[in-house]
Amino acid sequence: MTAELGCYVYGVVGSTAAAPDTLPEGVGGTAVERVALDEVAALVSDVPLERPPGRRRDVLAHSAVLDAWAQRGPVVPVRFGSVLEDRDAVVPELLGPRYDDFVALLDDLAGRGQFTVRARYHEPVVLAEVVRENPEIERLREATRDAPEEAVYPEKVRLGELVAQAMEAKRQADAATLLDLVVPHVAAHVVHEGAGVDHLLEAAFLVDDDRRNRFEDALESVAEAMHERAAVRLLGPLAPYDFVAGE
Amino acid sequence: MTVSTQPRRGGGYLERPAPSGLADVIEVILDKGIVIDAYVRVSLVGIEILTIDARIVIASVDTYLRFAEATNRLDLYEKGGKDLTEAVGDLAEGGAKKKTSGAIQGVKHAITGGDDDDEDDQERRRPAKKTTSRRRRTEDA
Repeated sequence: MTAELGCYVYGVVGSTAAAPDTLPEGVGGTAVERVALDEVAALVSDVPLERPPGRRRDVLAHSAVLDAWAQRGPVVPVRFGSVLEDRDAVVPELLGPRYDDFVALLDDLAGRGQFTVRARYHEPVVLAEVVRENPEIERLREATRDAPEEAVYPEKVRLGELVAQAMEAKRQADAATLLDLVVPHVAAHVVHEGAGVDHLLEAAFLVDDDRRNRFEDALESVAEAMHERAAVRLLGPLAPYDFVAGE
Repeated sequence: MTVSTQPRRGGGYLERPAPSGLADVIEVILDKGIVIDAYVRVSLVGIEILTIDARIVIASVDTYLRFAEATNRLDLYEKGGKDLTEAVGDLAEGGAKKKTSGAIQGVKHAITGGDDDDEDDQERRRPAKKTTSRRRRTEDA
């Protein structure tokens, strides 16, 4: 039985960089290996193509491989799900044409790691603020509270719209506060679009290793200051997913 | 992310989860990393679409209704009859009830659900058990 194989690509590292102490399994339980061209090397493994990757454990494997390498040195993540035809294609199709870019990127990322911050409101607390601060919202709330939805549908939609606007205003102010305190300690940052109604801020930060403590301390003070209204989570250090060119 | 993220001097308000949950990982890697000229490009089964949906629905009537309902339910909190934690539990439970207005929260929970490697039912998981049971308990109390 010969299953058709493809060459799954995780990312690009230095060809002589130290490997992680513990090598996580790649997609589908495969072994991850390096295919090198001079100073750079692609992290790859052979995956069967008749059952393409794309499931939970594949997603986890992709990030586990990259984050493990990121603990040891710079790595340029490749977008999830990228498969070359075979290993012979790695140099002519990936490393060769973009060799100088990879060298420059790896150099730029050395000594830095990504942290992702996710701040979410404690929604009822912030909603209560919104009601207290806005008489029109309070009025509509009273008007719609005990009525069946069909009877007050337009008022309910209006109420929700006003609440959403008020939340957005808070979000912008609070996000700016958070960023003002943290950004001085980072090399770069990217703010993501929000997902979810309790969304306050989601952002990625590229942090120099020797400023990591200051970054984390700043974030800790933010989390403490906001803790009655929001929860702040910090993920990382991660591979620099947000700090390599998207194209 | 199997490798240590050594917890720093603890006791803080900052949450430092080990980022091994699917929701965290998806958010971190989705659409990230360099794009290469691939022979085959696989996509995330189901998950990608759900996440994008969650982003789009924010400024919709459904979202407004959900906000309105959550706002309507604030009375427990205002009467001061319960402490903050209980109020949060009640409101969150009420806000996420069956209708379309709870869809976003449902999606987030579906993505969040469970860290085990059971791959085939990942898209429609029930809300994270821990949170839900705590909320239920609060409501029953």
